Amino acid sequence: MIHDASLPEAELQQFQKRSLLVGIVGLALCGAGMLFNREEFFRSYLLAYLFWIGIALGCLAIVMLHHLSGGAWGIVIRRLLESATRTLPLMALLFLPIVFGLSHLYEWARPEALGDKILRHKSLYLNVPFFLVRAALYFAAWIAVVYFLNKWSLKQDQTAAPSLSRQLELLSGPGLVIYGATMTFASIDWVMSLEAHWFSTIYGLSFMVGQVLGAFAFVIAVAILLSSRKPLSEVISSEHLHDLGKLLLAFVMLWAYLAFSQFLIMFSGNLPEEIPWYIRRQQGGWRWIGLLLILLHFALPFLLLLSRSLKRDAKKLLAVAALVIAMRFVDLLWQVSPAFHPEGFHFNWMDLAAPAGIGGIWLASFARQLKGRPVLPLHDPFFQEAVQHGRE
Amino acid sequence: MKEPLKTVIVEPGKPPIIEPGHTFASVTDKISSVVLTRRTPRGWYLGFGVSFVLVMVLLYALGKLMVVGTGIWGVNHPVGWGFAIINFVWWIGIGHAGTLISAILLLLRQEWRTSINRFAEAMTLFAVACAGIFPLIHVGRPWLPYWLFPYPNTMGLWPQFRSPLVWDVFAVSTYATVSLLFWFVGLIPDLATLRDRSRRQLPRVIYGILAMGWRGSAMHWHRYEMAYLLLAGLSTPLVLSVHTIVSLDFAVSIIPGWHATIFPPYFVAGAIYAGFAMVLILAIPIRAIYRLEDFITLRHLDNMAKIILVTGLIVAYGYMMEAFMGWYSANPYEEYMVLNRMRGPYAPLYWALIACNALAPQVFWLKRARSSIPVLFIIAIIVSIGMWLERFIIVVTSLHRDFLPSSWGMYYPTVWDWATFLGTTGLFVSLIFLFVRFLPMISIFEMRTILPQARVEE
Repeated sequence: MIHDASLPEAELQQFQKRSLLVGIVGLALCGAGMLFNREEFFRSYLLAYLFWIGIALGCLAIVMLHHLSGGAWGIVIRRLLESATRTLPLMALLFLPIVFGLSHLYEWARPEALGDKILRHKSLYLNVPFFLVRAALYFAAWIAVVYFLNKWSLKQDQTAAPSLSRQLELLSGPGLVIYGATMTFASIDWVMSLEAHWFSTIYGLSFMVGQVLGAFAFVIAVAILLSSRKPLSEVISSEHLHDLGKLLLAFVMLWAYLAFSQFLIMFSGNLPEEIPWYIRRQQGGWRWIGLLLILLHFALPFLLLLSRSLKRDAKKLLAVAALVIAMRFVDLLWQVSPAFHPEGFHFNWMDLAAPAGIGGIWLASFARQLKGRPVLPLHDPFFQEAVQHGRE
Repeated sequence: MKEPLKTVIVEPGKPPIIEPGHTFASVTDKISSVVLTRRTPRGWYLGFGVSFVLVMVLLYALGKLMVVGTGIWGVNHPVGWGFAIINFVWWIGIGHAGTLISAILLLLRQEWRTSINRFAEAMTLFAVACAGIFPLIHVGRPWLPYWLFPYPNTMGLWPQFRSPLVWDVFAVSTYATVSLLFWFVGLIPDLATLRDRSRRQLPRVIYGILAMGWRGSAMHWHRYEMAYLLLAGLSTPLVLSVHTIVSLDFAVSIIPGWHATIFPPYFVAGAIYAGFAMVLILAIPIRAIYRLEDFITLRHLDNMAKIILVTGLIVAYGYMMEAFMGWYSANPYEEYMVLNRMRGPYAPLYWALIACNALAPQVFWLKRARSSIPVLFIIAIIVSIGMWLERFIIVVTSLHRDFLPSSWGMYYPTVWDWATFLGTTGLFVSLIFLFVRFLPMISIFEMRTILPQARVEE
């Protein structure tokens, strides 16, 4: 039996310190960059922000999916997911720079937007005050759900009451509905409206699937890295990795399915209000980034994850997870940057500094959350079964 | 320290998927007796009789169609796709639950699927059969369907591969073939059981031929398991692909109301939604009439209600996105299409659809509703009606007001439209009646594997 479910403190402490250092240096560099090139700073910052909040929100969705569906795969990673969700208040704080950069980022937030007939029509929805109110609502909703999910989960550690599992399940149903509704509109507000003339009904759904995919890859990577140390080394087995690998494969396919659906429908429609989005993304270097997405975001992980032995091999699965995480960033780059640089591929040094900056701070916060609580839900009624599942 | 973990906890806190007290023999007896020994209930004759009358109606309507032509239907300019497409999409959607239960739930190791997969697969086949009739008769010359296939011919005729209607031909025929194979392969061990247990000569010969020499040897089982798993793998993409392509029939066009990127996932969810509603509509009476409450337990009904709730929420999400993007697009035609659905001549049907599909299943948030048989049955019927209305709204309201007001018009189905539709429901129900009478409606050998006795201690 496992009695001590806390991670080696010293190592995490060290990781936290280093991440924080990287974060501060990254953000300091970006701050310096802002003085020289305000436009590019906000663009890079938005991209980096979307990447990291995507992982936190994806983890939130996975926790709730797990509470509803059950399964050994979720019990062994539950605390990792929960730690990631507890970074959301920090992410709410990090949203502030975007608030100050709205007019740099979004054409609808500039006064001249009212001269455009379509933007004038949309100004009922796309206007600065309403945008801010909505963002506040999204964060309030997410943080409220995160608060209760974590509170009851911690309480289960202390009281071992099985009724808390039921409570978590009851919250997760509405919680997922809340996530679906808020994230859809958040994706419209924050990303789709970068090209304010364009619209796509599938966009919110595929954005959410991207978040969940990134979160799965992230949490698989963390679980594998921690599984070489106690206490996870006693719990996580190739059986769990196999299940997680299957889920990663499922989401790789789902992402590709949604992305291809949107492409095929817009491509065959070829309407002037839709196709410019793809034309911009097929010009200059963006075309190669698109091709890279097909090959490395879909084809390669898909083919690799079909293999049973690969999914059960921690090192190889870690490599695939790392590839998926990297490609999640490339996908976001391909979604966001052509809006600013339709002429062709463009990469600013801040496109690296900003993700390192936000990422360092985010990872430090993640490590701090990870330390704070037992890394395994020992009193989950299904915990023993989940451990047993790994030994079959 | 490893010892205490050896005790296997079999799903603590979850109700059983088979009532306690059954043995290998009692399971076999109970399921095979419906086919072999029990007297056919009078209700069976009545039900089969009524549905067979509807089959006659179908044949009459089709005969009339062959003689006169598609002019007997309500389709005309601008609504060229009427009941034929609505019913095709409705029926093909219903089939998806069967494939989901048999393939995806098998791969996900959801044991509760065992008692419902057989008749859900049969439902899939019969629904696909009903669906297939419609495009065939809608082409106008049903005796030339092979023109749809790419084959070298002197007419220089080649299908237009850029059209999703041609993709449909391949998707649906693949779907029908794989579903039939999957169903038949799954039946083989049970057909052998029926062969061995039937006392009369004729059934023994027929079941014997169908059982293809099954003797239940270890080698047979080994190959069987392999084949079944491979077929499950093959069927899994079909759950997505068939209805995705059906959705592309609409979405690849540029008609407001059809050209929407959400269509593929939203159609797939709608198909599973309607399919599970149909499984409930069939399962609830069958378990009551044949006293199969031990096998199709409240847990099964509860799980299906949850799937209906989830897919219903995805469908509702689709409606929400369509309405929002209709406004957000700032395209006057898109906006008008949404407003026309809500306030135009077909508005009552639109609001009925919202009530049936988006509101009604919300009662399944309550455990009490999910465990009440009447509520489950009524909601399942409401959902089936709602999904039919959805296809009506998508097909008709998107077409009936074309870009120019001079090309506006109304669509009213004629008596022949209704006769054909009702006729296919008759065909579906009579096939189901024949199925429960002549084949084991629950998989006997798979039910035996979920008995506690079948769990081998390591």
